[in-house]
Amino acid sequence: MMSFSLWDIVRNLLVGGALTLLLSLAAFVLGGATGLAVLLARIGRRRAPRALARMYIELFQGTPLLLQLFTLFFGLSLFGLDVPAWLAAGLGLTLFTSAFLAEIWRGCVEAVPRGQWEASACLALTYREQMRHVILPQAMRLAVAPTVGFAVQVVKSTAVTSIIGFTELTKTGSMIANATYQPFLVYSLVALGYFVLCYPLSHYAKSLERRLHAAR
Amino acid sequence: MPLVSTRRLHKFFGRNHVLRGIKLDVEESEVIAIVGRSGSGKSTLLRTLNGLENIDDGTIEVDGTVLQVDHDDPGALRALRQKVGMVFQQFNLFPHLSTGQNVTLAPRVVKRTPREEAEDIARRMLERVGLGEKFDAFPDQLSGGQQQRVAIARALAMSPKVLLCDEITSALDPELVNEVLSVVRQLADEGMTLIMVTHEMRFAREVSDRLVFMHEGRIHESGSPQEMFSNPTTPEFASFIGSLN
Repeated sequence: MMSFSLWDIVRNLLVGGALTLLLSLAAFVLGGATGLAVLLARIGRRRAPRALARMYIELFQGTPLLLQLFTLFFGLSLFGLDVPAWLAAGLGLTLFTSAFLAEIWRGCVEAVPRGQWEASACLALTYREQMRHVILPQAMRLAVAPTVGFAVQVVKSTAVTSIIGFTELTKTGSMIANATYQPFLVYSLVALGYFVLCYPLSHYAKSLERRLHAAR
Repeated sequence: MPLVSTRRLHKFFGRNHVLRGIKLDVEESEVIAIVGRSGSGKSTLLRTLNGLENIDDGTIEVDGTVLQVDHDDPGALRALRQKVGMVFQQFNLFPHLSTGQNVTLAPRVVKRTPREEAEDIARRMLERVGLGEKFDAFPDQLSGGQQQRVAIARALAMSPKVLLCDEITSALDPELVNEVLSVVRQLADEGMTLIMVTHEMRFAREVSDRLVFMHEGRIHESGSPQEMFSNPTTPEFASFIGSLN
């Protein structure tokens, strides 16, 4: 029987942790960009894109992330597309993130007082000009703290991708646990890994919230 | 020809018939004060004049630009709004922009005025409301009265033909009311066309050329303020001014 030193365990978990970080970053950046497009459709004045964006958001908010991943991973292979686990994981999390961010940001746009719309309309600004110069800059300020807060959720959600076989932190952990028969130690280390990633983020979100609140 | 002219203006909020056929003509340089009880439709009337509220029937014409029902012509709405400035009860300054940027935004974005020229205009307009030194301040660093004067400067920077004032002193602490009213008085003296909804009866009486009393969605009585205050012709207006004291 092979024996594992603590360093062997940690070393492998670090590799898995790096993949978790990478997946979180990719999901957040790509999901943010997609989410912005969904947001603009959702709050725009054209009816069809607005309805589509709403359906998109409801679809991804109303179903478990796990099933979204299964659908991508197994569903697409039914059409003869061979989807590797990393691609299904990245794509699934991106879609999931975009729907949630679009909805969070919509709340921020709607939190900008109506008087701001009226005042800018009176100055003859068009809808686009109002958005660009008056509404979005204020909404962005409101959005910073909840967005960083949601990043914590994204990091933790990446754990679900272990089920379709993407070897991020959790999957790495379960493989090592099976090989070492030390699940308590290994899973404790895995949890610590998530904590190390998430704690600074949630701390940052909290301090941003305080700062931006005080500045208003 | 009047500068502002409305004909058989009707407006509903759901089943509530808030404007019931308004005919109003305002000449250039005229100062109009619209008064009435709350719910009489006075603010709604003001807000239809620059298309903040759409209308259900009738026409609005400002300096040759005609606004129809439904605002189906965005070009006309934009043209009209460049001629009609508005100042609100709650100031509605843009909190993320400095005073100077608040005033230059519309000239730069809508009229494509070059930055330096726009800043020149902004400085002059801020001087005009007595806030020349506040160009770089942010709205939350100003008192309510100062914010309202910036809002006036912001409207003036678009060189509107007519300025709408919607209860612009109602949200102010009593000691700040006069600094705003004196700016309005000065604008009136300079020949600005003003249409204001106000609760400051004494001010309305002093400054306005014509008083418009609204009651149940109609212009119930109108005329020179001196005349109306000394000889109200309708019992509703008599009871309205009676209830003020």
